[in-house]
Amino acid sequence: MVIKIYTTPTCPWCKKTKEFFKENKIKFKEINATSDKKAAKEMIEKSGQMGVPVIEIDKQLIVGFDEEKLKKALKLK
Amino acid sequence: MVKKNFDVIIVGAGGVGLAAAMYSARLGLKTLVLGASHGSELPVGGVITTTTIVENYPGFIRLTGQEIAKKLEEHAKSYKLTTITEEKVSDIKREKNCFAVKTNKSEYKTLAIIFATGTKWKKLDVPGSKEFENKGVNYCALCDGPLFKNKIVSLVGGSDSAAKDALVLAESAKKVFIIYRGEQIHPEPVNMERIKKNKKIEIINNTNITEIKGNKFVQEIILDNSYKGNRKLKVDAVFVAIGHIALSDLAKKIGVKTDKKGEIILNHKTSETNVKGVFAAGDVTDKPFKQLITGVADGCTAAYSAYEYISKNKIIPC
Repeated sequence: MVIKIYTTPTCPWCKKTKEFFKENKIKFKEINATSDKKAAKEMIEKSGQMGVPVIEIDKQLIVGFDEEKLKKALKLK
Repeated sequence: MVKKNFDVIIVGAGGVGLAAAMYSARLGLKTLVLGASHGSELPVGGVITTTTIVENYPGFIRLTGQEIAKKLEEHAKSYKLTTITEEKVSDIKREKNCFAVKTNKSEYKTLAIIFATGTKWKKLDVPGSKEFENKGVNYCALCDGPLFKNKIVSLVGGSDSAAKDALVLAESAKKVFIIYRGEQIHPEPVNMERIKKNKKIEIINNTNITEIKGNKFVQEIILDNSYKGNRKLKVDAVFVAIGHIALSDLAKKIGVKTDKKGEIILNHKTSETNVKGVFAAGDVTDKPFKQLITGVADGCTAAYSAYEYISKNKIIPC
C-alpha cells in the first residue's frame, strides 16, 4: 500500500493525520506542498482543490483529516 | 454500548476545555473531555491550533498556537483523573441528578457538564463563495496560505484574527488585499502596526465582495465599490475571517439559554448557565473579550463551580 500525504508545515490537520498514521504504525511519504512547487501543482491537479492535507492511498484521494474515511481506506478497525 | 460514569464531562477539547479538565482533576473530580476531530472539526487544542503566533498568554512571550495547545493538553493529561477522547457528542439528556451523554462511540453518565464547544467559522455568503470553497475560497490561512506563494490574495475581515491571517498570508503571497466593510480594520494596536509596515498588504475599507468568479479556481472578485476606478479585482484566493458562530446547539437541547447570537448566557462570576449542573466557558459563551486567556480563566471557574455543585449539593453518584 503506497501512502502519500501532501502537507504545509503549519497545518494542524496535517499534523493530526501524521499522528494518526504513526499511532496506527502506518508508513507514509510526506510531501511538503510549500517547498515543492511541482508537488503542489500535482496535488491541485489530482484533487481539483487547494486545501491540505490531501492523502493518497493507492490512488484513492482523501481531502482533509477524516478518521472514518482513513480507517476505511486503510482497512483498520 | 459501554456505559461509564464520570463526575464531570467537558464537551470540547480546545484550550478552554483542556484547562477546565486540568482544574477539575486537581479538585479530585473524575473528568472526561470529549472533543470531535472529524472532517472539518479541529484537532485537540481547538481553534488556537490555527493561530500562528501567540504573544498574549502570560508566561510565554512567543510561541505557536500548536505549541500552546500541546502544553495545555499535556498539562490536562498529567492528572490520572483526566481522560481525553476524540468522540463527537450526539445527544445529552438529564436523568434525575445526572446527565446521559451519547457520542458516536459510546455512552456516559455524569454529574455535571461543562460546555467548551467553541465556535465555527462564519462562511462568506456571496455568489461563488460555495462553488469555489477550497478552490481559492479558504478559511484557514495558516493551513493553506503557503500554497499561494507569489500569488495575489484577498482576505475578508477587519478583526485581530483577520489581521493576523493577513500577516500570515503576506509571508507567502506577493500581495494581500484586506477587504473590510467598515471604516477601518480594528486589530490589536501591535498587529495594526505590523500591517502598516508590511508593504505587501493593502487595506480596502468600506468595501464588500459581491461575487467571486473563476474557472476551475478563483480568478477575480467583484467589489461593491471601485478600487482604482475598477470594481473587478484580479486575485487567486479569497481568505475569509469574518467571525464565528457559537456551537451551542447541544446546550440549547437541555434548556441552556443563549442570546441572539446563539452564545450561552453565562454567570460571569461562576461560569454557571441557567441549568443546574451545567456550566460553560470560552468562545461559546457571551463573554465579550474572547481570548484564550479569558476562556481558560472561565474554564477553571467552571471546574470549581462544578466541584462546589457536586460537593455542596451532595449529588449521589449516577
